[in-house]
Amino acid sequence: METLNSHPVTAQQAKSFISPTSLSMPGGAGDLTPPSEQDGTQSNGMNGALGSGEHANGTGVIPSTPAATPGAVTGASGIVPALQNIVATVNLDCRLDLKTIALHARNAEYNPKRFAAVIMRIRDPKTTALIFASGKMVVTGAKSEDDSKLASRKYARIIQKLGFNAKFQEFKIQNIVGSCDIKFPIRLEGLASNHHQFSSYEPELFPGLIYRMMHPKIVLLIFVSGKIVLTGAKVREDIYKAFEQIYPTLQNFRKS
Amino acid sequence: MATEHYYEIYRRASIGTTLVDTLDELVEEGRIEPQLAMRVVSRFDRAIAEALAEKAKGRLNFKGHLDVYRFCDEVWTFMIKDVNLKLDSGQTIQAEKVKIVACNVKKPGEV
Repeated sequence: METLNSHPVTAQQAKSFISPTSLSMPGGAGDLTPPSEQDGTQSNGMNGALGSGEHANGTGVIPSTPAATPGAVTGASGIVPALQNIVATVNLDCRLDLKTIALHARNAEYNPKRFAAVIMRIRDPKTTALIFASGKMVVTGAKSEDDSKLASRKYARIIQKLGFNAKFQEFKIQNIVGSCDIKFPIRLEGLASNHHQFSSYEPELFPGLIYRMMHPKIVLLIFVSGKIVLTGAKVREDIYKAFEQIYPTLQNFRKS
Repeated sequence: MATEHYYEIYRRASIGTTLVDTLDELVEEGRIEPQLAMRVVSRFDRAIAEALAEKAKGRLNFKGHLDVYRFCDEVWTFMIKDVNLKLDSGQTIQAEKVKIVACNVKKPGEV
């Protein structure tokens, strides 16, 4: 169990693993991503990590940090970025009459002078869809991959119920956005000059440092406050990897 | 003049239905031509729109839960649940459901 402490073993543990503050795991165990081979080594490192040791003993206590998100590659930081937004596209493979949709569906907006799509929202999962006459659809706002797919299916069903022969093809997650708080201030000027290849820091234009990581290909917005936004991922693992890669650097530029 | 168009929604308000009923009666009795009745009604569309835009000063505050919204053909529709309406006089009205239809003062295409 010592080596497997990033995954729950018993049902009780599994329950406690879903942090109530974590927005990334509404489906619980169903959302588990397959453990990667890195897990063994990563979790060893985690034993010494701040705040993440308490859940390893399986006492069923809900950890105070969101570090215990299942499926996440918990690294030395003991912090797991929370997913904030997922953008996905679907092809309904059917021409759509947008005015019919706007008139008959609930919570729809259609203003062809402004934008050539119907904007529709559902409450569960709380998402927004852009529905185009070509039958292509963009679904935004989901907090997990499963929610994104479920929401997309719900929109497709709504369109079907209005009498269109909508299918559900080519579902693809286009972007994942995560964020976290490392809880210490960062010297952005120092980081920018040391990592000038990847960094763009123009405080007169934008208060955050824009860090374009190459592997994984992720863009990070790093703020003085220690709040980090990670974007550009197609899979959540890239968000986690990018954060673990940048974390030691951020520690080096900690403002004292 | 003939190119101007006004919303016909106020014909369904009590003042509008009363007018239409009266005109119907007059037409049935043969006292006016149907064409005249049509002109009166379209004049009403314009007059009420202008009156509401310029003369109506009443205010109403309300709070509730937005259940359904829609925007199509430049018209917003809101269905609100558990609404608490507060009138200028301080009087409050509680309603289970309220439907709001909101359109531009000027119709699309009008300058």
